[in-house]
Amino acid sequence: MIEPGGVDDPLADGFAAREPWAFEEAYRRFGPLLYSTAYNVLGNAEDAADCVHDALARVWRSSNAYTKARGAVRSFLTVCVRNEAISRTRSQARRTRLSERLAAEPQEYEELGAGDPIERDRLRAALSRLPPEQSEPLRLAYFQGKTHTEIAAELETPLGTIKSRIAQGLRKLGAALRDGEGPRRYE
Amino acid sequence: MSSGEHIGELAELYAIGALGESERRDVERHVAGCTACGQRLGEAEDDVAAMEAARLQHDPPEQLQRRVRAMLHRPAGQWSRYAPAVAAALILGLLPSAFFWEQNRTMHAAMEADSAAIGRVASTPHRSVAFSQMSDGSAASVMYGPDGSWYVVLVRGASRALSVAWMHDGQRTMLGTATPHGDVAMLYLPKSHRMNQLALMDGDRVVAQAQLAY
Repeated sequence: MIEPGGVDDPLADGFAAREPWAFEEAYRRFGPLLYSTAYNVLGNAEDAADCVHDALARVWRSSNAYTKARGAVRSFLTVCVRNEAISRTRSQARRTRLSERLAAEPQEYEELGAGDPIERDRLRAALSRLPPEQSEPLRLAYFQGKTHTEIAAELETPLGTIKSRIAQGLRKLGAALRDGEGPRRYE
Repeated sequence: MSSGEHIGELAELYAIGALGESERRDVERHVAGCTACGQRLGEAEDDVAAMEAARLQHDPPEQLQRRVRAMLHRPAGQWSRYAPAVAAALILGLLPSAFFWEQNRTMHAAMEADSAAIGRVASTPHRSVAFSQMSDGSAASVMYGPDGSWYVVLVRGASRALSVAWMHDGQRTMLGTATPHGDVAMLYLPKSHRMNQLALMDGDRVVAQAQLAY
């Protein structure tokens, strides 16, 4: 079975070749996810739309941003948009607004919002199963868009340790979400 | 991350958004040419995409699709194709600015010189002598300090810049240019030397002369 947007999907070939039809098709399939990803970071419809547009434009202009080795176009674009959104929040004014918004929402899992309830519960359960030394830096990176350097300073933990904990936490989370697909070779 | 080194855990940090801009660019450059790191990064991206899919979903505005389409159907090389035209437009746009800036600077310097000259003429005793008649009807004179320490050449009805030269011993020493502002051209020469003969020149041609006495 061909996973939509996966590496065996013809979309991946067209996208790697920077074919306009492939970009249009990618937006048609993944637009809601990309927009939601940006919106969940930025909290503003106009900024989210600009962010998706700019992230796609950056990939479109770049001759080697995506290669098939990278895997699913959907995942690649989601991270592109998310990183673009995080870059925007890192300007001082936006960071202040984001902190205020986060401060108004004391429960971190409230950030999960009201998505697919099954998926949301699965993610919530996976997060809660992580040991605190992994979930804490992961939470600061994922929900607050902090860099590993900022997280190391905030948690007063060596940078190398923080990097490892974030990486391990994400891999465990991924494995839990894949639910029995088995470990990856990097695990 | 040093050059040639694999990205390792930076893959997960990249995917989750925990890298700064410069580290992010380093990772992107590396994975563009490294299949193994591209695969590791792709897997981390799958995990983050799965997390995002579980979160609150919002419908994108319809105009976003139109913007994306417009961006895609603008040929990728459009800007580079038009780059020479843009560069030419910028140069053509900037050249007048540069020209007027230079003109302004020159005019300012000239005004300062004129002001110094007028101050000199108004505040100290001086002598004055007219240049010989010029064929275009303009009239010129030179005012100068009795000790030869300064000179002001004044041309009324000037239609173009004229050079001022000191004629001595069969030679010609160029002193400067009287440039018109309106219909008056002025040149202030704070020279500590008694000059007996001055000439106004249009190019290489002498158009008027003045004999000075001390």
